[in-house]
Amino acid sequence: MRLVRDLGRRKLRSFLTITGIAIGIMALVVFGSMANKMNDLIGGGSKYYANKDIVSIGSTFSGSFQPLSLSDLDKIRKVDGVAAATPSVEMMLDSTTTATMGTPEMIGGYVPGGDKGLETFKLEIATGRLLTADDTGNVTVLGSDLARKMNATVGGKVTIRDTQFTVVGIMAPTLTAPDKEAMVPLSTAQQLFIKTLPPLFQAKLNAADLATSITVYPKAGVDPETLKANLKAALGSDYTVMSGKDFDAMLGSFSAIFSLVLTGIAMLSLLVGGLSTVNTMAMSVAERTREIGIKRAIGASAWRIRREIVLESAAIGLIAGVIGLLVGAGMTVMFNDAGRASGNVLFELTAATALTAVGFATGLGALAGFIPAWHASRLDPVTALRYE
Amino acid sequence: MALLEGRNLRKTYKLSRRNTVEALKGVEVSIEKGEMVAIMGPSGSGKSTLMHILGLLHTPDAGSGNSLSNGPAPELLLGGQNMASLSDSARTKIRALRMGFVFQDFNLVPTLTALENVTLACEYAGVGGKQAKAAGIEALGLVGLADRADHKPSELSGGEQQRVAIARALVNKPEIILADEPTGNLDSDRSAEVLALLRQFNREHGQTIVLVTHDSEVGEACDRVIKMRDGRIRDQGIRTGTPVMGVGEAVA
Repeated sequence: MRLVRDLGRRKLRSFLTITGIAIGIMALVVFGSMANKMNDLIGGGSKYYANKDIVSIGSTFSGSFQPLSLSDLDKIRKVDGVAAATPSVEMMLDSTTTATMGTPEMIGGYVPGGDKGLETFKLEIATGRLLTADDTGNVTVLGSDLARKMNATVGGKVTIRDTQFTVVGIMAPTLTAPDKEAMVPLSTAQQLFIKTLPPLFQAKLNAADLATSITVYPKAGVDPETLKANLKAALGSDYTVMSGKDFDAMLGSFSAIFSLVLTGIAMLSLLVGGLSTVNTMAMSVAERTREIGIKRAIGASAWRIRREIVLESAAIGLIAGVIGLLVGAGMTVMFNDAGRASGNVLFELTAATALTAVGFATGLGALAGFIPAWHASRLDPVTALRYE
Repeated sequence: MALLEGRNLRKTYKLSRRNTVEALKGVEVSIEKGEMVAIMGPSGSGKSTLMHILGLLHTPDAGSGNSLSNGPAPELLLGGQNMASLSDSARTKIRALRMGFVFQDFNLVPTLTALENVTLACEYAGVGGKQAKAAGIEALGLVGLADRADHKPSELSGGEQQRVAIARALVNKPEIILADEPTGNLDSDRSAEVLALLRQFNREHGQTIVLVTHDSEVGEACDRVIKMRDGRIRDQGIRTGTPVMGVGEAVA
């Protein structure tokens, strides 16, 4: 192909330009994959929180956290618009965990069937079974990432907070929070939870009465926002009620900023790559001034000259895009493999991201070719022919 | 009727705001079909400028409306059609379809093979694919380079490169070939070869050829020599040869 031959006549320069854009595209692919994963997590969360309200006291983030009592449950069930309310006890899997990338590893104690079938975020089991209301003691159902990290199999044993648990089931991947969760019966979680509290509290509290949050499902036709207002009115200001909207407001903006920062970094590297392409093509037009002159003289239209330069520039972008995509994809696979052992799968390369990256690189290349192409097409053939 | 006719051809180049050069000061010229004409003259006589205008690479000054020149409106007729005020794209199209060019520096595209250089002219004339390839091979055959079709310009001698350029000028069977110092960069043997080749196309196929040269031997080999000095034609020349008329305007 003539176009490739034209690129090949200045191998070093083409190589450097292609490398420049390829690095940018690689960054776009890697960061884009990371943003995809983040958005999946947040999207999953958003879907989970959409049809319910979560009641807690204080907030796990503010430090003013206090456990709820199951007596709160009775109060909540009497509130107008409540279809079901179910307590849960959630805590970090590892007592020393403070901050994590993505979602944290959690222990969650639930009452199977407590949602009265109203939960729309369905958990699928991959092997074994889900917990049932009859389960007690040290049995657990593990999220897919956690199971992989703990090297767990159904029927085997895992150690959680110094306690041996029998794995009864492993969940299918959800790409969001439950993947890193160990689900246990509520009573088991309550026992684990009380041990995390200062001794003074432990003495005052009855483990079987504890919950860290209560999930409230509205009756059919009741807006979770309306229910939230009802709950707040009934429970008073000590309680925190979070609806799906609150979740979206909290994490939606986070997600937008996160995507923006990552895309910004990638765009910056692409800007550099793009300018380098403009430079490459401008130099190549200058070098080929005579050649352009001869082509114009023997009848090549200005449009044809422009097309030639823009196509060559786009080819630089396309080649760089494909290389960048391959390297970037390789990196996400490598990072994911490395992170899988610790449960940190942070990248998700989608077809859309891949196509966008290559398309963007090609477009960038073409765009970078426009100015040199315009310049080339406006050369006077006679002057160009005499150019040394 | 002459194939190519020019009247009131003026060209003033503006070098800077104050400095202008009057390269052509009102030229009248007529080229017959089947003629092989040399335009001769010292440097700066306007011979190249005239060729560029005849080859539609430049336009003559527009005449009274133009601030640079106040002469009468120019006329440039190719086969009776006035070309003096065509747009760039219209002139480009005519160059591609009806004219062939040969330049001093051979001017081949270095990344393309001899054949591709020739078929480039076909592409610009709107002929592609097998048809262009066949025409290209035929044209290279006519200049005796059929066996060099796949060679790059860097693998060819200067004389061979110029023959490829002639093949490119011929491939579309144009009405007229314009050559600017076609032998300027060749030694006398190669020079004679190239000239003989052009002569052959003129004789055997009635190909109209206009060439610019400062080599009097080249001039002598032509049917007529137009002598220029200081932007004017000093001598329109007398036809010496007997051009073959009516055999056809193109290479068989």
